[in-house]
Amino acid sequence: MTAVVLEQVSKVFNQGRADEVVALSDVDLTIQRGQFLSLIGPSGCGKSTLLRLIADLLAPSAGTVTVAGKPARKARLDQEYGIAFQQAGLFEWRTVRRNVELPLELRGTGRAERKARADEMLSLVGLLDFAGHYPAQLSGGMQQRVAIARALAVHPPLLLMDEPFGALDEMTRERLQVELLQICAKTGTSTVFVTHSIPEAVFLSDVVVVMSPRPGRITATIPVDLGERTDATRQSEKFFAAITEVRRALRGGSS
Amino acid sequence: MKWAKLILPPLIVGVGGILGWELLVKVGRIAPYVLPAPSAIWSELVEQRSNILDAALASGLNALVGLVAGAILGVLAAMLASRWSLLSEVSIPIAAVLNALPIIALAPILNNMFESTSSLPRRLVTAIIVFFPVFVNTLRGLREVNPTHRELMESYAASGWTFARLVRLPGALPFVFTGLRQASALAVIAAVVAEYFGGLQNGLGSRITQAASFTAYPRAWAFVVGACVLGLVFYLSTLLLERLATPWRTRT
Amino acid sequence: MRHRLRLIGGVLVAVLGAMGLWEGYKAVGSPDGTKVFGVRVLPRADDLSMPPLLSILRRFAHPEVAGGNGRPVWRAIIDACLFTLGITAAGFVVGVVVGLLLAVVMQRFRVVERGLLPYVVLSQTVPLVALAPLIVGWGGVLWPSWMSVSLIAAYLAFFPVAVGMLRGLHSPSSIGEELMRSYAAGWWRTLVKLRFPAALPYLFPALRLAGAAAVVGAVVGEISSGTGGGIGRLVIAYSLEATSDPAKVYTAMIGAALLGLVVAAAISLLEVPLMRHRRRVLGATV
Repeated sequence: MTAVVLEQVSKVFNQGRADEVVALSDVDLTIQRGQFLSLIGPSGCGKSTLLRLIADLLAPSAGTVTVAGKPARKARLDQEYGIAFQQAGLFEWRTVRRNVELPLELRGTGRAERKARADEMLSLVGLLDFAGHYPAQLSGGMQQRVAIARALAVHPPLLLMDEPFGALDEMTRERLQVELLQICAKTGTSTVFVTHSIPEAVFLSDVVVVMSPRPGRITATIPVDLGERTDATRQSEKFFAAITEVRRALRGGSS
Repeated sequence: MKWAKLILPPLIVGVGGILGWELLVKVGRIAPYVLPAPSAIWSELVEQRSNILDAALASGLNALVGLVAGAILGVLAAMLASRWSLLSEVSIPIAAVLNALPIIALAPILNNMFESTSSLPRRLVTAIIVFFPVFVNTLRGLREVNPTHRELMESYAASGWTFARLVRLPGALPFVFTGLRQASALAVIAAVVAEYFGGLQNGLGSRITQAASFTAYPRAWAFVVGACVLGLVFYLSTLLLERLATPWRTRT
Repeated sequence: MRHRLRLIGGVLVAVLGAMGLWEGYKAVGSPDGTKVFGVRVLPRADDLSMPPLLSILRRFAHPEVAGGNGRPVWRAIIDACLFTLGITAAGFVVGVVVGLLLAVVMQRFRVVERGLLPYVVLSQTVPLVALAPLIVGWGGVLWPSWMSVSLIAAYLAFFPVAVGMLRGLHSPSSIGEELMRSYAAGWWRTLVKLRFPAALPYLFPALRLAGAAAVVGAVVGEISSGTGGGIGRLVIAYSLEATSDPAKVYTAMIGAALLGLVVAAAISLLEVPLMRHRRRVLGATV
């Protein structure tokens, strides 16, 4: 069962103008149900563009994007995914709980159920005690966890994440990576994760997709088999071998 | 202990200023028409307090009506202008130009248009003066939207009205209050000063000119103090309202 | 360029729209105004209260005193505007200098900032301009009466400059300050080379506000003092004749408005050579 299928997808910005940019060219990608897939590559390789095409926040110039068996646009209208950006993007005027309730509110979920769901997600990310606080009172890492709770609030089958841990320090990142994997395992979501950190991509994923720029395309698809990921995994032989493989693919792909 | 650092310097300046003032007047034998002594002003304040209160209430009411009317119009106009980017781009410079004009000079004309026994001209002038800061600040708040919020609401396939309701309006609230703070000070000033231009004379402005014309200078200054207190009340009330309406703002 | 054309077009549309509104209301409005609950909420639409626009324009050309052979209205207004302009300019300059000095001192000595800034803010929050009739009494004895009016203009002008300049002086990032310190540059050199240039984008919007404030201060001062010769006096004088000569007071109003525009334009002109390389800071624009 596939979660996402991209067929011959291309994206060109400012077509026909002097500042035309070919962000993606002839991309084919398939993501299976329950898979954790990372997109990694240097700046300008189109990984964020690719994510936004899946999310239907951009339309492809050519090719088709299919999410949960539907065209991307319908998938967005049917709310088949949750998304987390590099900035947590919480509403500063809402409490933490009300922020997590936002997508549920937009679906018309009743008040009692909204609160229950929000509390469920907040305890999943370990922030239930802060449900009544305002985002300004939380650290960057905590805000990002709230954003993840919000993305998962509707129990979506697909989770899209655009460098969500990019603005955090290394220690917080490693901890959140472990938490994220636990959550995804528990909820069974498929995940597309954009990052520019090789250890992060290897630690989190079942598949690492390496991209290169000018024009943006996929240069390698590397399966990663590390079994259950724990802190010990970061020291294992297989971990370093996979990192080396990804690094080699990155070096080889860029001209 | 920390707030003592904050409170002490202005307190010292204030107390020192008043003492220095008193000394200057007494020692320099300065005539009251130049500068009355704080002690003389205080005694007039106490003696005239009911008059001051009546006049302050009249001016305060004018300021309040003008403030509310001008603010509502300002917010509505900003909401309208933000819908069409062309309109908002053009209206900001127009507002800047209109605000450079001495709006208070409209007072005599308005007195002609309406009866000179009506409170409306003063309230109208106040409302016009209040309109601009509220309009400009609210418009800025409505236009500045965090791009991450925008993408998020797009991912939720939220309608334009939902987006406005959940993101733009609450996000613009702090800006509305910035404009309101300026406007509340301006409203009191406008309500008081408009009386210098004629028209109905039942507020603080007229009392000040009256007392001055009777050379009762300490009394005139006492009325000025009343006006200052009124201005402070408006400003602090706006601050309080802001605290209540935007509880998420951190105290910086 | 397109942007500027749009702006001019928009302003023109606004002016034409306002004119259309005026004549339109005159055409449909009741000559006695509209009363709601006994309070007149819409003005009288008769020619006495709202003269037709053409008659206002024509009034400019006719003699000031009806029937006399005196100077035409437009001359009277221009003379009055120039008079007030001089007063405004004097007050503006004093206010700007005081504001700048205050800002520099407050930036240098944190304790002075903490002691004075609340009062600076307070001075504009409370209607101290209500003192105008009283300050005006100093004139004629301590100094010529027009100086009192300039003082009031200066008082209204100094606040935006002081506050805006202070913000500007505080604006350079700590990195810039650390750099200057690594060059062993003292406070004065840092002020001249770092803080002052960094403050310019904040200063100019403040100057514009100060200019508008100075005009208002001058007009209010003239009215409170009865200082003859200025546009403020003219507005009051003409308004007293409104029943017999309705169009005249509007000409004075237009004169006052033009004065405000001239001041704003003059300040904007100052900005051109100095701000060519700077970005505009969207601080307080009103």
